[in-house]
Amino acid sequence: MSTPSAFDPHRPPSRELLDDCVHCGFCLPTCPTYQLWGEEMDSPRGRIYLMSLAEQGEIGLDGALHEHIDACLGCMACVSSCPSGVRYDRLLEAVRPQLERNVPRSRSDRLFRNVIFALFPHRRRLQVAAAIGVVYQKLRGLPAMARLTERVAGMGATFARLAALEALLPPVRLRDAFAALPERIPAAGTARRRVALLTGCVQDVFFHQVNVATARVLAAEGCEVLVPRHQHCCGALELHSGRELSAIARAQRTIATFEKLPVDAIITNVAGCGSSMKQYGELLADDPAWATRAAAFSATVRDVHEVLAELEPVAPRHPVRARVVYHDACHLGHAQGVRAQPRAVLRTVPGLRLVEAAETELCCGSAGIYNLVAPDAAAELGARKAANIRAAHPDLVVTANPGCLLQLRRHLAATSGDAFVPLMHPVQVLDASIRGTAPAMD
Amino acid sequence: MTRIDATAQRGFDRVLGAENVISDRARLRSYECDGLTGYRVIPALVLLPRTAEQVAAAVRVCAEHGITFVARGAGTGLSGGALPVADGVVISLQRLRRVLAVDPVDRLAVLEPGVTNLEITKAAAPYGLYYAPDPSSQQVCTIGGNVAENSGGAHCLKYGFTTNHVLALEVVLADGSVVTLGGDTTEQLGPDLRGVFLGSEGTLGIATKVTVRLLRTPEAVRTLLADFPSVAAAGEVVSDIIAGGIVPAAVEMMDTLAIEAAEAAVCAGYTLGVPAALVVELDGPAQECHNQFERVKAICEAHGCTRLHIAADAEERAAIWRGRKSAFAAVGRISPDYFVQDGVVPRTRLAEVLSRIGEMGEAVGLRVANVFHAGDGNLHPLVLYDASAGETARAEKLSAEIAELCVELGGSLSGEHGIGTDKACSMPKMFSEADLELMGRVRDAFDPGGLCNPGKLLPTPRLCGERPGKYRPHPLEAAGVIERL
Amino acid sequence: MTIATVLRPTSLAEAAAALADTTGSVRIVGAGTAADWAGSPEPADVVLSTTALTGVIVHNPGDMTVAVRAGTPLRELNAMLAVHGQRVASDAARVDLGATIGGLVATADAGPSALVYGCLRDLVIGATVMLADGTVARTGGHVIKNVAGYDLAKLVHGCHGTLALIAELVLRLHPLPGATSTVRLIGSLADSAEAARAVLASPLEPVACEWSNGALLVRLAGTPGALPARLATLLGSAARRLDAAEQEAAWAAHAALVAGPGSRPHVDRAVLRVGARPSRLPAVIAELTSELGATGVTAGLATGVGTVTLPADPDVVARAHQLVYGVGGSSMLRSRPPGCVAPAWGPAPSAIEVLRAVQAELDPRGRLGAGRFHPWM
Ligand SMILES: Cc1cc2nc3c(=O)[nH]c(=O)nc-3n(C[C@H](O)[C@H](O)[C@H](O)COP(=O)(O)OP(=O)(O)OC[C@H]3O[C@@H](n4cnc5c(N)ncnc54)[C@H](O)[C@@H]3O)c2cc1C
Ligand code: SF4
Ligand code: SF4
Repeated sequence: MSTPSAFDPHRPPSRELLDDCVHCGFCLPTCPTYQLWGEEMDSPRGRIYLMSLAEQGEIGLDGALHEHIDACLGCMACVSSCPSGVRYDRLLEAVRPQLERNVPRSRSDRLFRNVIFALFPHRRRLQVAAAIGVVYQKLRGLPAMARLTERVAGMGATFARLAALEALLPPVRLRDAFAALPERIPAAGTARRRVALLTGCVQDVFFHQVNVATARVLAAEGCEVLVPRHQHCCGALELHSGRELSAIARAQRTIATFEKLPVDAIITNVAGCGSSMKQYGELLADDPAWATRAAAFSATVRDVHEVLAELEPVAPRHPVRARVVYHDACHLGHAQGVRAQPRAVLRTVPGLRLVEAAETELCCGSAGIYNLVAPDAAAELGARKAANIRAAHPDLVVTANPGCLLQLRRHLAATSGDAFVPLMHPVQVLDASIRGTAPAMD
Repeated sequence: MTRIDATAQRGFDRVLGAENVISDRARLRSYECDGLTGYRVIPALVLLPRTAEQVAAAVRVCAEHGITFVARGAGTGLSGGALPVADGVVISLQRLRRVLAVDPVDRLAVLEPGVTNLEITKAAAPYGLYYAPDPSSQQVCTIGGNVAENSGGAHCLKYGFTTNHVLALEVVLADGSVVTLGGDTTEQLGPDLRGVFLGSEGTLGIATKVTVRLLRTPEAVRTLLADFPSVAAAGEVVSDIIAGGIVPAAVEMMDTLAIEAAEAAVCAGYTLGVPAALVVELDGPAQECHNQFERVKAICEAHGCTRLHIAADAEERAAIWRGRKSAFAAVGRISPDYFVQDGVVPRTRLAEVLSRIGEMGEAVGLRVANVFHAGDGNLHPLVLYDASAGETARAEKLSAEIAELCVELGGSLSGEHGIGTDKACSMPKMFSEADLELMGRVRDAFDPGGLCNPGKLLPTPRLCGERPGKYRPHPLEAAGVIERL
Repeated sequence: MTIATVLRPTSLAEAAAALADTTGSVRIVGAGTAADWAGSPEPADVVLSTTALTGVIVHNPGDMTVAVRAGTPLRELNAMLAVHGQRVASDAARVDLGATIGGLVATADAGPSALVYGCLRDLVIGATVMLADGTVARTGGHVIKNVAGYDLAKLVHGCHGTLALIAELVLRLHPLPGATSTVRLIGSLADSAEAARAVLASPLEPVACEWSNGALLVRLAGTPGALPARLATLLGSAARRLDAAEQEAAWAAHAALVAGPGSRPHVDRAVLRVGARPSRLPAVIAELTSELGATGVTAGLATGVGTVTLPADPDVVARAHQLVYGVGGSSMLRSRPPGCVAPAWGPAPSAIEVLRAVQAELDPRGRLGAGRFHPWM
């Protein structure tokens, strides 16, 4: 009865949170891995059950628990669909670091993950990678990683993963990769808000135009926008993968960069960054030096659509005549509950017809680094999402997360023979409407 | 580790592929219970077939080796129907989830058993059709599970239960043979075996293909939410509606506690603190629906309704239903633990049974929330308790007594959740030895070896002891109206 | 030929005794309106008539349920219930011929309005049955919603006097409709099938949609209102709303076709009941008519259930079964001339072994209804 928990004492998942689950299964249909594999262990209910068994010391951390938590996309669809209010997000954030600490990964898995985390959160390295164009080659070229990749590439299964990484990267205009926004953009007319903009790492390198559009739209709607120069990665990818220590370090740096700014809101246009920054309060809750600062920071973080939806539109819009599918990024819809606002913002554009695709709550398979570490599952989900979107016959697809954009681009393209469907961030559509230009299709 | 001999295990590996046979203990444990988590048994193996042929092949291996098997859909059952057997296998149907056909002309759909109830309606919707039975768990429970439990839902008052909507079943019998029960129409070739299989809780075989009827989406739907100063007043409204010759699509009642829970979960716009709320929905041709709706409104007002909220559009209607359908899962928000009961009383005895339940709860110091299908007398009393405060045994006893009270009032032990493991030992309270023996004979006809979901539905000495609960005469019997020989 | 003993029990106890105290074969009869359906009964030692096992046991208007002894004619039961504005919603053709409720259940008979109310299987919520050894068992209960135990009332729905005696039934009731109206559109079966499709695609929710006597009949039920007019408009200018007398006559004529010419000695035609997907039924019936000389057609264009009258020739009937089975349908021979040896059934269903096993469990000596399912059982 009193078998000790398999978790170590540093922030194990709490018994109360585990007990909230009544095993009703309402979360099953929206769980992407359950949709793919139809197994209890790869459903939220099954994962919580395994966590609970581990907490009671009835199973160990390695084996089933480790594998099935690894297979979780962290999309949080289960949080949205649970009528009992189970906080799977908190359970997952508690369990992943436990597994990273306590369960050794196979060598190839470890190396590959190291490659990703050595590359993605670093704007500089991404810029270099983008500049040379072919990341796969670039990985070999980066002195720090040459040895790593050689070994990684030598291992059969990992090839698929590297191919996945390469296939995802978008074409990038060199100018964009190195471009930076000015530090202050004044509001058009009287300022209604003053906000700070997180420019993101992946976002700024690969989707710089989205940041430009965000700043322009905010300014047009009466926001003074501050863009701190020395921003770093917010740590979202690491936080969501259980790399707690580096996530904490990044969180502290980000807080330090933004907290002194005299702003009403800290704004992000990236779903994943928003969800992690809103979590800083919980992440640093145990650290007396940081707890209050982190909580205060998290309280001011807003997704760009939340702010835009609150502001009565002032900038005149030009019509954009298009059928548009808005794809809910999991980290925006499920993790932050922001679903209505982006749609409301898009509806302010005259001529724009918003259409819903089937299975809106299902993840596209991008999910942070998931499409890199589990390419087969991610590809299946991507193809399913693309088929659902195509069935709605959109002229344009919009979504607020670079991961989703990359994933959708790849899979919408892969359905060969079909018409090209342009992809954008919602603020780019709004920007085009306000400026009266045709939306710049990337 | 497993208690299955090696040749049988090889047999399963051969017909399914070893990667589709779960034998690792930790993984097996995730299948150890269904929606009723109080009962747990670790199965010897879990099988994950992809096709009906694989199901039949796996069952043949079971038959050859005398291994018991339990079918499992989404595992949302609330009576322990999908509880594994320790030396047996669980056959999960979660991977058989293709919609095989939707025929808009003949208005039917052919489904694999793992298709969820809601997916059927989604597949039919483009043709203006839908699948009528709508259990609250419809987004997750499978049609195979619905068939096994003869599931109902809020709209079953007017449209009937699963048994009224299934035309044909392809079934793998316990010997691995495959038969079809029912056909393309309601014309029968002899006794209605399809009807016997429906509601048999997985004890007569495994359904691998289900043909259901689809209905046309009604022209108009009107929904209202009305608050009442007492449960009795709400009950009278239900009686008057029915007595007026109106058959509503749904009539649901919730009491104060249930409303509190639902509001905590989904903020659907119910009034906190009112003693009783009724959800009444009418549907049909627009004018017909409109006329009846006006009469229902008048009946509500005549019984002192304190608020009448009429859904203005589809969104408001959905909100009302979201509140109702999330009610029991949401009770977790107002109580650390709870038992869901599922009894039925004749509709005319609703007020009486509710006040008795209230008294019984008070007597043992436990709160009982009530959510129910008022139109057909199907109660879902939720007994709230706190396991950590040592209230489990008391709560369990109260819950069982409520079910027995329903039988005593001339009703039934279960309206939709089934008997399963949970109530098998209470069956003798509702049925005589001869009644149960007849059921046993029918079970033997389908599955002479007793391999198919043993220990469920019928009481067994092993489960219930030699002398299970005492038979309670039906009130009509007690009154000498019906004879018992 | 042995002369059968005829027993007419008046109570459950007498009925049980009738079975327990006799040996040999037993033929159960009700009003005799379907005595020759589903195969030729073999001569029996005992004829057990339910005609004295009659009367309502309990009717609770508030619950809309009734418990009744199985020998009660449905016509009489409904007359009694009508006083309370209620009814058992079955309009099988035999009801007006005096068929008993038990007999209707045992033969799985149904009428046009099965389209919305279902068959009797959908209305029976409980039953008391008696096995050949006199064992009395109950199934279901007195509430419309109930999933406790196997639903064994289904087992006797369509048993045609085999397996068990149906002694008592508990039924779900419906309110009497405020008004019914019928719209008639004269036309061929094929054209009517098209028209029926339009009606079914509309939101009008007809309670019956049948083709017979060269016309489509669509019945609506509910409070009087604009619906019949909408229906007539939908069907075009040729459609006509029938007045009360015409309505009654039209449906009586329909029922007469379903009942067929009866089994009088000079008649040489038999009635075949046919079920096929609604989209396939018109073609099947057309073929039965042109190839096999079928007449007296009624076609449920929404239910897929129809009846035809055929020459009572074994060969013709066998070919008719084949034809229906060929499109995935099912068929059963109903009334036919005495001595007619035409096959009552087509090929045995895939579950025949289960059926035999059920019979072996419930009636191991095969006392009840011998000959009914020949040659399957
Ligand atoms: C929150 C909640 C609300 C609910 N609301 C309702 C409601 O409103 N109405 C209602 O009726 N029920 C309700 N239920 C109960 C449950 O959802 C139903 O009983 C449902 O039909 C079970 O389906 P399942 O796929 O989960 O089956 P499981 O739980 O997996 O299995 C149930 C039974 O069916 C058998 N079975 C499963 N598949 C097959 C098959 N293919 N062939 C043969 N046997 C099979 C199993 O062996 C078992 O005995 C609710 C449950 C929950 C948790
Ligand atoms: S997480 Fe929520 S939805 Fe999923 S099984 Fe647990 S209680 Fe139900
Ligand atoms: S986070 Fe997503 S993948 Fe993980 S269990 Fe929840 S729904 Fe499934």
